[in-house]
Amino acid sequence: MKPSRTFRHGGIRVEIDCDWEQKKPVQNAFLPNGAIIFLKQHAGRQARCVVRRGEYVREGMVVGRADGPLSANVHASIPGIVRDIRVIALPEGGQAEAVVIALEGSFDRLGRREERYLWPSMGRNEILAAIRDKGVVDTEEPGLPLFDILSEKGNIELLLVNAIESEPYLKAEACLLRDKGEEVMDGVAILRKVLGPKRTVIASSGEKPAGLPLARAGAPAEEADVEYFDLEPIYPQDMPNQLIEAVSGQKPCDAIFIRPSTAYAVHESVVHGKPMVERYVSVAGGALKRPAVLKARIGTPIGDLIEECGGFLGPPARLVLRGALRGHSVHDLDVPVTKTTSAVVALDAEEVGSLWRSPCIRCGRCAEVCPERLDPDMLFRLVERGLRSRAFDLGLGSCTTCGACSYVCPGRVPLVAAFSVELRALADADKGRI
Amino acid sequence: MRSGKTLALGDAPFAFNKRTTSSLMWGVSLALMPALAWGLFCFGAPAAIVVCSSILGALVGEAAPSALRRRFTLWDGSAFLTGLLVGMAMPAGIAPFIPAVAAFFATAVVKGAFGGLGSNWMNPALAGVAFALVNWPTEMSSWTLPNRLSDIASVSGATPLGISRAQGGGFAAIAASSTDSSVTDALNQGLFSLFGAQLPSGYVDLAIGNKLGAVGELSGILILAASIVLLARKVIRWEIPASIVASFALLTWSFGGLSIGDGFFSGDVLFAVFSGSFLLVSFFMAPDPVTSPSSRLGMLLYGIGIGAITFLLRSFGARSEGTAFAVLLMDCSVPAIARLDAAISRWRASRTPAPNGIDESERSGTR
Repeated sequence: MKPSRTFRHGGIRVEIDCDWEQKKPVQNAFLPNGAIIFLKQHAGRQARCVVRRGEYVREGMVVGRADGPLSANVHASIPGIVRDIRVIALPEGGQAEAVVIALEGSFDRLGRREERYLWPSMGRNEILAAIRDKGVVDTEEPGLPLFDILSEKGNIELLLVNAIESEPYLKAEACLLRDKGEEVMDGVAILRKVLGPKRTVIASSGEKPAGLPLARAGAPAEEADVEYFDLEPIYPQDMPNQLIEAVSGQKPCDAIFIRPSTAYAVHESVVHGKPMVERYVSVAGGALKRPAVLKARIGTPIGDLIEECGGFLGPPARLVLRGALRGHSVHDLDVPVTKTTSAVVALDAEEVGSLWRSPCIRCGRCAEVCPERLDPDMLFRLVERGLRSRAFDLGLGSCTTCGACSYVCPGRVPLVAAFSVELRALADADKGRI
Repeated sequence: MRSGKTLALGDAPFAFNKRTTSSLMWGVSLALMPALAWGLFCFGAPAAIVVCSSILGALVGEAAPSALRRRFTLWDGSAFLTGLLVGMAMPAGIAPFIPAVAAFFATAVVKGAFGGLGSNWMNPALAGVAFALVNWPTEMSSWTLPNRLSDIASVSGATPLGISRAQGGGFAAIAASSTDSSVTDALNQGLFSLFGAQLPSGYVDLAIGNKLGAVGELSGILILAASIVLLARKVIRWEIPASIVASFALLTWSFGGLSIGDGFFSGDVLFAVFSGSFLLVSFFMAPDPVTSPSSRLGMLLYGIGIGAITFLLRSFGARSEGTAFAVLLMDCSVPAIARLDAAISRWRASRTPAPNGIDESERSGTR
């Protein structure tokens, strides 16, 4: 096995002690009494609602149909009555319609024997159709529908399965790779068939989980094995540029990055015909009694998951989705799990620490840790003065908003917050032009 | 929340490194305590009065402009640290109003007038010391004898550096104390004899601080020990102190012996480094991030400049001491260093094509 490697410049070792004893295998979370299913859990436009209030929906039934490119089907995660269809705020900003389902009836799918399709005999289009039908999206924000990624690409250089969790509190991907290694690898094999990558790499931290099948049974002899890389989980090792640098020492050629959970969803949809209705969620943070990774239905309110983890030890200072460094804070417990909710983190006051802002003392730590070799201090000064184009000249465009600069800043200068605003403004302007 | 209470929102990241500006400032202040304690032990109450009045002056100087801006910044520790440093650079018996005014000048004029912490371009503590040196030159060089160390032989009222300068350079022949002779003997027999070397007497006094000098500058050993802790914890970065010491030591070794007729490469580095305010300034004042360059190359250039100017001022200047002015001069040239640094990195980027396809020339100018 290759020794631990990582990217070249910057990065931080997050000093938060947040490990916990994880039950094996991961437990299913209790079914929610009511599921709130966002019709927008993907990058594109919100799905078109195809159910009416009062209608009975079965588990796995389509409640929203994909509407244009980058949109994806949305399915009912529990059987029940559609109580309401209302517009609510998305945790990542903006708002979207959500279908509220009250649990009722029986799980006709749960009891039945699983369907099993033999994908090696399926054609590329058949596989893509299954993936589109079952609403499989990339489990990383912004949730690009896999169909859109796959249908555009073919014969790529590198397929990278990213099982690194370099942020604290996140454990779901590692658990999935450990518990469902075979299924994940089967999903990877399906993706390899569609994409025809020259290289396939699994990037993870730590030893290869025992029993992870890297060579596919019955694969043609010319097909190379999947490579396993043990990378040091220095933050943000899970970002594309840092992954490529660590794995091949080069800038991205033609690469596709997926999470093990995405590969798992591919396997489930293609082999078992299952829509994307559940996912592994890390429920953690210092304010939580018993942190755990749970397998939760999409639409489960995060309050249910927190209750299942023993509730709060004390009042949480911040409730964050998707991780403490890159996540979104939410203000109530009714926010539902979506296809891209990798974690629910309840931070206590000690973890948040002092937010007292003091002026920049030019200590240079932000530039030291920037994995993209930018000078956040300089960029911030420019942005503050409204010199946006000058900031972009100096590389603001390559900022990945990983937040390493803000994490180390002793003055708590809102560096990455300011950069996000600029980058979003640029993206919106681009959208407007098209 | 379900109880109806809602949680605060915010921008990512939501977790931070525990190190804040104030913890950095208080940490550096804490690291100075052993050296200060030694000064208080040697000089007693007068030293305490000097340091206290200096800190008080600094706090008042910080509070006044920040009150105008309606920002309370006293507890970020930076004014305390400035006051502490100014006080430690003063002779023990000096009239208390001098450190107070110098420290007030440091925080109110040098820092506050330019917009407070982070906006000043000149090192506040050293500017305060320089202010006192210019205004009260006599008071600033009349040294009080340490009352605890009776067997110190020098009663001339001059520091080792001052004596050395009066002699035209070289090691100041001060009669060594009994501590010095016993430690020197022990070292010579136990350690240096193994290498066939011998430590002359007087250096132990110099290093541990059995000498005349400012309140906090006596013990080079304690200052070095504190700096090692700060360097290891990455509170201060190594580039600036290392390049100051390296360039100053190299110049002293090469040319320091000339003035007493010893020829090249015979300068007394040990004496030069351990005398005066050199160590305190190199390790605690010059690395002030606000007024020093932030790129590695810039820091090295800055440090080399400080070392060289210190050597020149000590050899040819009007006073025996020159570290403070060396740092202030280099503070003035920080923008020039930044431009030079940018030009050098552009030149380097143009010579080596970026291996990973990033066009380095687009970015190099930024740091």
